[in-house]
Amino acid sequence: MITDAMGLILADNRRIQLGVLTEPRAIAAIPFAGRFRIIDFTLSNMVNSGIKRVGVVALTKYKSLMDHMGTGAPWDLDRMRQGLYMIPPYINPITREPDRTDAQGVIDYVKTGDQRYVVISGSAFVTNTSYKPVINAHIESNADLTVLYHKDGQFDGPLAMAIELDDDGYVRDLMVDYPRSTSQKYVVGLIVISRNLLLQLLTEMMARGIADFSILGILENYKRFRVQAVELEEPLLRIHSVASYFDASMQVLDTKIRHKLFSIDRPIYTKAKNRAPCIVAPGSGVVKNVLASDGCAIMGHVENSILFRGCVIGRGARVTNSVLFQDVQISEGVVLDHVIIDKNSVVKMDGRLLGQPGFPIVIEKNAIV
Amino acid sequence: MAKQDIIAMILAGGQGSRLGVLTELVAKPAVPFGSRYRIIDFPLSNCTNSGIEAVGVLTQYQPLELNSYIGNGHSWDLDRNNGGTYILPPYLSQVGNDWYKGTANAIYQNIPFIDSYDPKYVLILSGDHIYKMDYLKMVESHINNEAEATIAVIEVPWEEASRFGIMNTDETGRVVEFEEKPAEPKNNLASMGIYCFSWKVLRESLILDEANPDSRNDFGANVIPGMIEAGYDVFTYAFDGYWKDVGTISSLWESNMEILNDPTLINLRDISWTIYSKNPQRPSHYFGHDSKVDNTAITDGSEIFGECHSTIVSYNVVVEKGAVVTDSILMPGSYIESGAVLTRCIVGMDTRIEGNVRATPDEEDGLDMFVNEKLCKDGITVFAPNLIIKEGTKIVGNSMIGAEHARDYPQYIEEVPHYSRMEVSL
Repeated sequence: MITDAMGLILADNRRIQLGVLTEPRAIAAIPFAGRFRIIDFTLSNMVNSGIKRVGVVALTKYKSLMDHMGTGAPWDLDRMRQGLYMIPPYINPITREPDRTDAQGVIDYVKTGDQRYVVISGSAFVTNTSYKPVINAHIESNADLTVLYHKDGQFDGPLAMAIELDDDGYVRDLMVDYPRSTSQKYVVGLIVISRNLLLQLLTEMMARGIADFSILGILENYKRFRVQAVELEEPLLRIHSVASYFDASMQVLDTKIRHKLFSIDRPIYTKAKNRAPCIVAPGSGVVKNVLASDGCAIMGHVENSILFRGCVIGRGARVTNSVLFQDVQISEGVVLDHVIIDKNSVVKMDGRLLGQPGFPIVIEKNAIV
Repeated sequence: MAKQDIIAMILAGGQGSRLGVLTELVAKPAVPFGSRYRIIDFPLSNCTNSGIEAVGVLTQYQPLELNSYIGNGHSWDLDRNNGGTYILPPYLSQVGNDWYKGTANAIYQNIPFIDSYDPKYVLILSGDHIYKMDYLKMVESHINNEAEATIAVIEVPWEEASRFGIMNTDETGRVVEFEEKPAEPKNNLASMGIYCFSWKVLRESLILDEANPDSRNDFGANVIPGMIEAGYDVFTYAFDGYWKDVGTISSLWESNMEILNDPTLINLRDISWTIYSKNPQRPSHYFGHDSKVDNTAITDGSEIFGECHSTIVSYNVVVEKGAVVTDSILMPGSYIESGAVLTRCIVGMDTRIEGNVRATPDEEDGLDMFVNEKLCKDGITVFAPNLIIKEGTKIVGNSMIGAEHARDYPQYIEEVPHYSRMEVSL
């Protein structure tokens, strides 16, 4: 059946920052799982659920996001009708700052669609699921809002939203950053709402000068509205800190989780890069429990790690428990353990970087170590 | 249509019969190559990288896979408002209907397509060669020589020259004689089957050739020799890069192995001349806890839990723990179960090799009824796409196993009509 919903992705969140990883980019644009960015997951979920109109709300650092999205072609969103809409912030002409209270771009986007419902997604999680059951549950209920939750007992991150439900499955309590929730039901950043109600909320928000349009900002209205909660049963990886990013990356190495995350029926789409196939050179070291990508050249020893496209691991180098972003070069004899290295960085000969479990070392983009 | 100075026509209708079961259901240009690619990615990417924006792809033999692979040309940046890729199959008309009778006839039948762009130059390319070539340089040489036809040639070893079409030139590079497979070659410049023509001249020559009932309507056999005889200015353009006609099982296997053993030859990592391909939309590839991999190329969606040595692994391939694959090519979607041992094998798309199957050149007690020495040499064994090779089957080298064997030997081989990915058993 035709999905009567448009998508709205909140690509950034001022309260969730991942150090140097979010310095140059929005959360949604953080590279993940070798050849994807976080936004690819929720965007593909939307497209795989039949959504054909998606708006992406960016805050300040939207260059890498825009580069990645292009015309939306990888997600089949380059269309004459509907398709992909980037919604960057309006710049205040006097202060030359992004106008924090201006939701006009979002209002215009929502207004001009002809769908009855809006699926709003945050960008601090990764999953592969169809949003259709949530949309249908919303349509079939009397709820004003439907929110997705997961029983992963997640409460260590910022903005962990625990909910308590009444007997009919409606939210009766919402607690933020409250580790003692007995329900163990934590909100996944995904809401279904009717277009009219969303427009009303956005207009109120502008009138009150509220700075942040966020999942939490909407859910805080739970006392005014009937908020239904639906459980997400697929594996969920939350990304709200460097430690949780690292942990989520390592979980993708688990073949069962990886197969759920990249199901054949619901592909996760991303921008193509047309790199050569990955080469494991003759006489390379052990390569085990490694997710590697096109354009990589592996001459050294790699274990329990993720290599994005174009990484080069020099002879005699030893890379363990690490995540190396696109085009990172590891020279001969380097030893890395528990390290995340951002794009285009180089670790020169015989360098040693040793992080700790739970506290990976993070190297910024374009660095030379 | 708006004018294009140069248009390229890729001949992609050939069967490639020497590839046997690999081209039973797909045209040769759609055969997987070098882990990530199909053979036609090379001429298509060469067009894109040379700045040629209008490309006709002439199809005839088993075109479905090729058509769906090329789509609207998006993967090669050839989805354009003006120009782009056109799939050109033979068609019916009021005055009769013909399959493409030969390479020249295929172009002859598409004169209206070429005319619609009003080009100055037409490149005739073959859809089944592995090479990287800047066609613009060839067109420039064509213009500088004031040529009417330019033929790309490559130096071949003297002892092999008698296998090729040899161009004999005068001191200015003008072709004075074309000899097809000469017993005593006068030089070693072999035609690569890549031509640049001034369209006006080619158009006339094609019409003349079509009117000649004795002609086989072939560029190499008829049109080019005819042009030389008629005194047209035909020049050679010497190409000195890597070029391989992957028309046989041995040359296909060798060319794949060269990616591993001499990666500088075709140099797929050269970002100034990227070879584009359709994106399979799969995750990064994974090496398991017990994998042993060396001298191997691999791409998206593949998972190696066993051993791969000197092997080309395409996308969506699984090699289970306990399987050992050596000197082989695993085409997209192939699945190698635990205990299987493959040496010098080419496994077709979506074929599953069950547990403890052994296929090696000198397999003891191996079945020898699949041996096909006409097509398979050097101990290389080929498995057709969409087969299941059943548990424990042992096969000697130089075998070629196709769908027809599934009917004759159901105890060893089964045909699977549709691709369905099987779960990895861990």
